[in-house]
Amino acid sequence: MQETRIALRNIGKYDGKTLNDAIELGVFNALGMTIKHFSNVDIIESIIHSNLRGRGGAGFPTGLKLQYTASEDSDQKYVICNADEGEPGTFKDRQIMEQDPYLLLEGMAIAGFAIGADTGYIYIRGEYYKSIKRLQYAIDQATEAGFLGNEIFESDFNFHVELRVGAGSYLCGEELTLLESLEGKRGHPRIKPPFPAQKGLFQKPTLVNNVETLAHFPEIISRGSDWYQSLGNNGSSGTKIFNLSGDINKPGYYEFEFGISLRELIYEVGGGISNEKKLKAILLGGAAGTFVSEEQLDTPMDYDSLRHIGATLGSGAVIVLHEDRDLGDFLENILRFFKHESCGKCTPCRVGTTQLHSNMKKINKGSSDNTNLLDKMLKEANLMKATSLCPLGQSPIMPLSTAVKYFKKELLKA
Amino acid sequence: MSENIKLYIDQKEIEAKSGSNLLQVAKDNGIAIPNLCYHKKLSPTGACRLCLVKIEGQNGMITSCSTVVKEGMKVIAFDQELEDTRRGLLDALLSEHNEEYDSTYTDDLQSLVLRYDLDKVENRDAESLIGVLDFHQDFSSRVLKYDSSKCIKCYRCIKACDEVQGKKVLSMNERGINSYVVAGIGVWDESECDGCGECVQLCPTGALVEKPNLNFIDINKIDRKVQSTCPYCGVGCQMDFWVQDEKIVRVTGVENVLPNDGRLCVKGRFGYQFIQKPDRLKKPLIKKNGEFVEAEWEEAIKLIATKFSEIKNIHGSNAFGAFASAKCSNEDDYIFQRFFRGVIGTNNIDNCARLCHASTVAAVQNALGGGAGTNSIEDYASADCIYVTGNNIIETHPVTATYIKQGKAKGAIIVVVDPKYTQLVRYADVWLQPKIGTDIALLNGLIHVIIRDNLIDKDFIENRVQDNWQAFEELKKLTNKYTPEYVEKITNVPTEKLEQAAHIYGNSKRAMIATGMGMSQEITGVNNVYSLVNMCLITGNIGRKGAGINPPRGQNNVQGVSDVGCLPNIYPGYLSVSDSANRELVANIWNLEAQNLPSKPGLTAVEMMHAAHHGDIKAMYIMGENPLISDPNLGHVEEAVKNLEFLVVQDIFNNDTTPFADVILPAASFAEKNGTFTNSDRRINRIRKVVDAPGESMDDWKIIEMIEQMMGSSMPQHKNASEVFDEMARIMPIYAGVSWTRIEEHGIQWPCPTPNHPGTDTVFADKFGTPSGKAIINPIEYRPQTERASEEFPLILNSGRLLYQYHTSTLSGRSDELNHFAPTHFILVNPANASKMNLDEASKVRVSSKQGSLETVVRISTDVAEGEVFMPWHYNDAKVNMLTRDELDPTSKIPPYKLTAINIIAI
Repeated sequence: MQETRIALRNIGKYDGKTLNDAIELGVFNALGMTIKHFSNVDIIESIIHSNLRGRGGAGFPTGLKLQYTASEDSDQKYVICNADEGEPGTFKDRQIMEQDPYLLLEGMAIAGFAIGADTGYIYIRGEYYKSIKRLQYAIDQATEAGFLGNEIFESDFNFHVELRVGAGSYLCGEELTLLESLEGKRGHPRIKPPFPAQKGLFQKPTLVNNVETLAHFPEIISRGSDWYQSLGNNGSSGTKIFNLSGDINKPGYYEFEFGISLRELIYEVGGGISNEKKLKAILLGGAAGTFVSEEQLDTPMDYDSLRHIGATLGSGAVIVLHEDRDLGDFLENILRFFKHESCGKCTPCRVGTTQLHSNMKKINKGSSDNTNLLDKMLKEANLMKATSLCPLGQSPIMPLSTAVKYFKKELLKA
Repeated sequence: MSENIKLYIDQKEIEAKSGSNLLQVAKDNGIAIPNLCYHKKLSPTGACRLCLVKIEGQNGMITSCSTVVKEGMKVIAFDQELEDTRRGLLDALLSEHNEEYDSTYTDDLQSLVLRYDLDKVENRDAESLIGVLDFHQDFSSRVLKYDSSKCIKCYRCIKACDEVQGKKVLSMNERGINSYVVAGIGVWDESECDGCGECVQLCPTGALVEKPNLNFIDINKIDRKVQSTCPYCGVGCQMDFWVQDEKIVRVTGVENVLPNDGRLCVKGRFGYQFIQKPDRLKKPLIKKNGEFVEAEWEEAIKLIATKFSEIKNIHGSNAFGAFASAKCSNEDDYIFQRFFRGVIGTNNIDNCARLCHASTVAAVQNALGGGAGTNSIEDYASADCIYVTGNNIIETHPVTATYIKQGKAKGAIIVVVDPKYTQLVRYADVWLQPKIGTDIALLNGLIHVIIRDNLIDKDFIENRVQDNWQAFEELKKLTNKYTPEYVEKITNVPTEKLEQAAHIYGNSKRAMIATGMGMSQEITGVNNVYSLVNMCLITGNIGRKGAGINPPRGQNNVQGVSDVGCLPNIYPGYLSVSDSANRELVANIWNLEAQNLPSKPGLTAVEMMHAAHHGDIKAMYIMGENPLISDPNLGHVEEAVKNLEFLVVQDIFNNDTTPFADVILPAASFAEKNGTFTNSDRRINRIRKVVDAPGESMDDWKIIEMIEQMMGSSMPQHKNASEVFDEMARIMPIYAGVSWTRIEEHGIQWPCPTPNHPGTDTVFADKFGTPSGKAIINPIEYRPQTERASEEFPLILNSGRLLYQYHTSTLSGRSDELNHFAPTHFILVNPANASKMNLDEASKVRVSSKQGSLETVVRISTDVAEGEVFMPWHYNDAKVNMLTRDELDPTSKIPPYKLTAINIIAI
């Protein structure tokens, strides 16, 4: 199957370092066009019209975020690139940062132009050593060449980018927690509202976008929002990077238009299940994602179709499990992850993640009480969903309830 | 002003101020939405999630603690789903909670558990994790203990330390289910925790509990909690004393009552041991053949009456000197001065304000027409510039400092002027470190820049300054030569810092000045403060909320002792003794003939000691003071008191002064009597009897009325202190509208002229108290200090206080907790001087001045500048005032505690 590469368009075409090579590939053209030919309103309208949605997992309309942030009256605004890629099974942003960092910087600068920000921060996962190195190099090169810094393209537009390195907390990828961490505070979620567009970093209006989302900006500007909007399926426009991993023959990252089916992704793109095993389950969207079974293989991968079957696209993680995998064990692993990453600030998540993990362990050890324990877990996870302060505590219900939905018998060891 | 809006909670129509917090609004209207992590004083945390409600038009359940009320908002606070959810959350919370309860604390969680029937284990879903979880305990602090097994991670302690006290010592360690609270980097006693206990006060469970009396206290057996006023500094914190079996077992701050709104410092919360120490004075003591012998009250009173009559007959009324007490109540002090004026016939009455803010009061009185602070303490939290000069305010007025830190958190710019590093420097935007004794040059420099850069308030000068532009021109002319460069030569303050500070102060719309002992305790004290007032006036930073000049007062009732007339020149209410109309008024109320009241102002404190030394004063009455530590040039003071014919000391303990007494009278402490204290922001607060006075000790005013009676006085006697208050309020226009019934819970700030007057938070709003109603600029030329470093005495000694001790430490020194934090004396020496003088850390040294010497140990520190040293004066085994001078400021008669040339020799 033929990929449609937008965010990944320059991957493999240069070394990820040489600025001139990137320029030859067209990087920074869109920024030049933006500054010379467009107003910030033009850019916002274009992004709105493109129907681009956030690629970090939540899928919020990007153009609206731009509009909200732009409409705030403030002496200082910020663009933040959320590069804290920590969702299990997700490794797409890393490719862009390592292999085409200039494209990301261009996307950020366009966003800065759109909302009236002169400063951008990239908050990056601390373990991404190579990305950090590449990005810092790219920032320095681009700044020296005048694509960042003051008076970009001889205009009065200034945009500076700084890199900030996270310290190993999954939760810091949550946008409000990210802001706390960026301010030098403990990685705890903030109470919403206010939203970042109103009071974000240092209480100033702030646009927070994922790496992949920002990487779409330049092509939308260059080729137009009509073109972009026409890509995709069922109201989900453009392309998405899918991360295939697990028991699959050709794991990796692949960018396709929305609408490709799971079956195509796994069997045509990913080369099928490894070791000639049968498929058991797929976890879509990472730990904070949903299980699907073989019966859902023909679902088109777009926001609405997935929602329709109670699944989520999330970050684009597609984790494949073959027939011999123990789903209870896998779920316990996911619940251990949530327990480990819970910051502990709110009661339902702090206690709930521990209770879920503890009960799952009991179930896996096997007890006569398994049905009761599983009911308790669902009740607990639903309470967490209804009451937790941030998405972390609201998430365990997703893998848990979908695992129960499709694999209840196996979980109960019945 | 925010307008009122209407909202509906469970269909009940409720009126609230727009912008208020929904949970608080519900609470104020009797709707008890469960909550644990919320506290009125703190920003919402949203941790416990119990306060979830439903709001029409919004999805799901929303924490009410983080919701701002809006017009027409429709809230469901209670339905089955919400209650089930809350029960589920509590259930979860209980599963990580150690439910052992030992009755030493109030447990808000436990009351919720009962409310939701979760005390019955069969009603719980979540299995207990106790036994699986690792808990963390920290019992290292001297004043509190932390147990994470009882911690619900509500963050109230962390926010108490951060948002209320501004200290930021506490934080959460680890994460998730393993998180727990730590102080500093892990060990409480090694952290910067100063023991104020705000965290304990706001802890809703037993995770943080006060340590003292833990093996005794049982909150179910608390007989009473009595609200009273703190006996330490002049902030006037309102506190509850918890009494169990007639023993004071705990002290907590009173929430929602000013000035402190629940906050206390380590002294207030943990310094109460002295009250019930066995060595309290319990019976009158009479010196017979050089030994003190217990006596009955009648014998002691008779002896005093006889000796006083005798001395009065032979030497006259002015052979008496009287030291009133800033620790005693207004009622005590009022009767004290009444006795000396009405019975003895002298105005030789003074109090320790002479030694602290006499110069400030004199300058501010002359320049502005009122000697007290102009604003409320809480104004610091809303000012946009806070200028703190010569005032180690975090240590000396810790609760006032919390408002300063809150102001900083809200964006106020802080300027600190101090020759010595103080903790406030950490919060300061600029720290000016002038050489000791150069304040006038510094202030003239600041004024120079403010005028040069046109940061003056023209309207204010025009309309509110006497001789407006003429006065301004004189100041301008005088300060013309004080260029930043010139000032740097005198003060050592870099020009750019001076400019920065001048711009900050000059550009501020609401600037609050806190001026302390560093300004006042100099022989140039009055002039220092005049210069400060000049800067204040040309920028118009006075007479408004958040703008003014305030001297935080040192003693609990130092404001009151002056208010009620324990000064040599005034009657209660600042009425001049020289004015015959005032004498008529007072004589009428005291049932005396006006001509028998002396019209000539009496002697001030240090002057009285000089007069005793000369032999002019023969008898002295010292009530609740300890001049043998607190007065300057102690060698001279000792000679003076030895020279007296008759000395009465009235106190609650033996101290360094009592050995020189002929009669020692045992007084009740503040915790054993009813009365009032007046604090730094002119707030008249009640003190209340908490426990019985030990032995035969009595209220000070009652003792003095006994002497009055014995001496045949016809002045009105009183059944209780409330009657005393009413009598003095009849004299004092500023207290006239106050009576005890009006200040049951909340104090009232004077002036309060009539019974329906609300009191005055900010003075000089419309006019000043001067005869012209306008403020007076007093241009002051800088002159070098008379005392200078010399070859013989090469260093300049600065003296001051520490957070954990109080004045002569007769009270604080009896607290094991406070002694733990600050056990002993020391001298701070700059490393450059230490190395030149071959002094090592902890070297034992002899420190000497022209006046005397003492021994102490060296602490090497850059907190003091080269050439300057610092000693705390609390300790009676290293009496700093053996060294200090008794040269006086010519106007205010304040001694220069802050500037003594000394030498240090290793021993």
